Amino acid sequence: MAMTAANGILKQHSKQKNSRSEDVKVNGYHKKTQVKNGPGTGVANSLPRHEPFEQAPMYVAVMTYLGYGLVTLFGYFRDFLRAVGLEKCHVAQERSEQKDFVPLYQDFENFYNRNLYMRVRDNWNRPICSLPGPVFDLMERISDDYNWTFRFTGRTIPNVINVGSYNYLGFAENNVDFLKTVAEKTQEYGVGVCSTRQEIANLSLHQELEQLVANFLGLESSMAFGMGFATNSMNIPALVGKGCLILSDELNHTSLILGARLSGATIRVFKHNNMHSLEKMLREAICSGQPRTHRPWKKILIMVEGIYSMEGSVVRLPEILALKKKYKAYLYLDEAHSIGAVGPTGRGVTELFNVNAADVDIMMGTFTKSFGACGGYIAGKKVLVDYIRRHSHSAIYATAMSPPVTEQVIRAMKCIMGQDGGDEGIRRVRQLAENTRYFRARLKEMGFIIYGNDDSPVVPILLYMPAKVVAFAREMLRRKIGVVVVGFPATPITEARARFCLSAAHTRPMLDQVLHHLNEVGDMLCLKFSRRSLAPRPDLEDRTDFHTEE
Amino acid sequence: MALGDCWKQLSWFYYQYLLVTALYMLEPWERTVFNSLLISVAAMAVYTGYVFVPQHIMAILNYFEVVQ
Repeated sequence: MAMTAANGILKQHSKQKNSRSEDVKVNGYHKKTQVKNGPGTGVANSLPRHEPFEQAPMYVAVMTYLGYGLVTLFGYFRDFLRAVGLEKCHVAQERSEQKDFVPLYQDFENFYNRNLYMRVRDNWNRPICSLPGPVFDLMERISDDYNWTFRFTGRTIPNVINVGSYNYLGFAENNVDFLKTVAEKTQEYGVGVCSTRQEIANLSLHQELEQLVANFLGLESSMAFGMGFATNSMNIPALVGKGCLILSDELNHTSLILGARLSGATIRVFKHNNMHSLEKMLREAICSGQPRTHRPWKKILIMVEGIYSMEGSVVRLPEILALKKKYKAYLYLDEAHSIGAVGPTGRGVTELFNVNAADVDIMMGTFTKSFGACGGYIAGKKVLVDYIRRHSHSAIYATAMSPPVTEQVIRAMKCIMGQDGGDEGIRRVRQLAENTRYFRARLKEMGFIIYGNDDSPVVPILLYMPAKVVAFAREMLRRKIGVVVVGFPATPITEARARFCLSAAHTRPMLDQVLHHLNEVGDMLCLKFSRRSLAPRPDLEDRTDFHTEE
Repeated sequence: MALGDCWKQLSWFYYQYLLVTALYMLEPWERTVFNSLLISVAAMAVYTGYVFVPQHIMAILNYFEVVQ
């Protein structure tokens, strides 16, 4: 399928048999679309077909368990000392009048919190005292009693390179020229809207935003909400209810899971990105129907995400669309991390895979990550969006989006689409793609185990052992690089990782500095577990987009 | 010179040991407790070997009639 752009609006030419390459003009840049496997297969050539989730050597797993076991034993020992009274207890405790009631603080999560998290919690919730751009300032804090309490020394750590913020296109900026329209709209509309969309806060600005989002995605209509999490959790109950079936990916975000549970539909989980598992479940659902009555399901909704934030893997969109059409199910695509960040012009995974965006029934996304604002949207056919306007909790009860935030999204989207007259947007999209490819290639070369698709700007580096996770975060901060490390509740207990979020605002020298320090820290902490054979770097030499070279 | 290098290398090995066994996350007195436990167990194993292994070797050689 070929796509042409006119005034920033993408139009799909369906039923076009392309058997030779065609030059297509997108936003003033030529883009070659070649269909090698015949017409309309919807598979992008540059996308690697396999995403390896490499397993670490056996000794790593053994040592991870050993480390956790040892800390757990010491945890029991310290709990015993606290119970006996030899040690002062800093955590919340039950009152002595309540000791015959069911205990509140004995389950594993509280044990984990007291004895593992508290020891090392100086690596999380670090206070930032500047804009979270490509570099930021941290407030220096130290603890005198092993992280039970903190105090600020009064100094700041300036110019720490930020590889943890979701700032994919670098729109979290405080450049006065770029923010002129935001300031104007704030002066015009104020900051508070003081009502909900359905009552009296349906500003013309909101309608402009929704029209713009619909044009950006190439769909009929869209609706914007004030909070990304609430977009998922409050709208799914409006779409499905009891008697419907939700097939949700294993690694879906909490907002999707919460929305699914609130709706009252039956939820079945299929293995991550595994099409066989999904197909088996679809067939079984259609053959057996609802659990006791065997009536057919009212709706079958497949919920997937564009890019999964903890793995960096990309959904297999063409295959899911084929399954959806075959078994007459509906598809809900959450593009929180992929909108603006993947695809040649930043339109998300539908553009990455070269499929028609109208094939996805419900497209959801957030403005938090690539647009530097906050909020979310749901887009699709006009009948769907009109229904959601009337029936969604978020639309009826939640306060509308604030005007400066709305204008920030509008200006960011116009920048990406090229409607503000320049090529800043497309330059950023290409810079992000280039940064992603370079960073991932260099990391693989160095020998780290990283997960995820080669096109995704979310790069998790596996660290496995709990002490290495902590040492990694501290060492990187010492070298003035701010990373986000994630451990147990957010990831499986043996797969702790450091998650890097690349940005278009990162320059090549910054990335080189980060990679240099990563190399040193990797050697110092012995983190290079990969047993892959090192291939030469073909992707860096075979680039075809030299538009942004100076 | 060589002693300095040797000390650095040993220090690095101790750091790796702390990371792998997750002692890095514990407070210094807990590390002392664990290390003394480990060293005492290892010392007891070495002492037992020193006392009993010659006797075992002699018994084995006697069984195979290599030495009377």
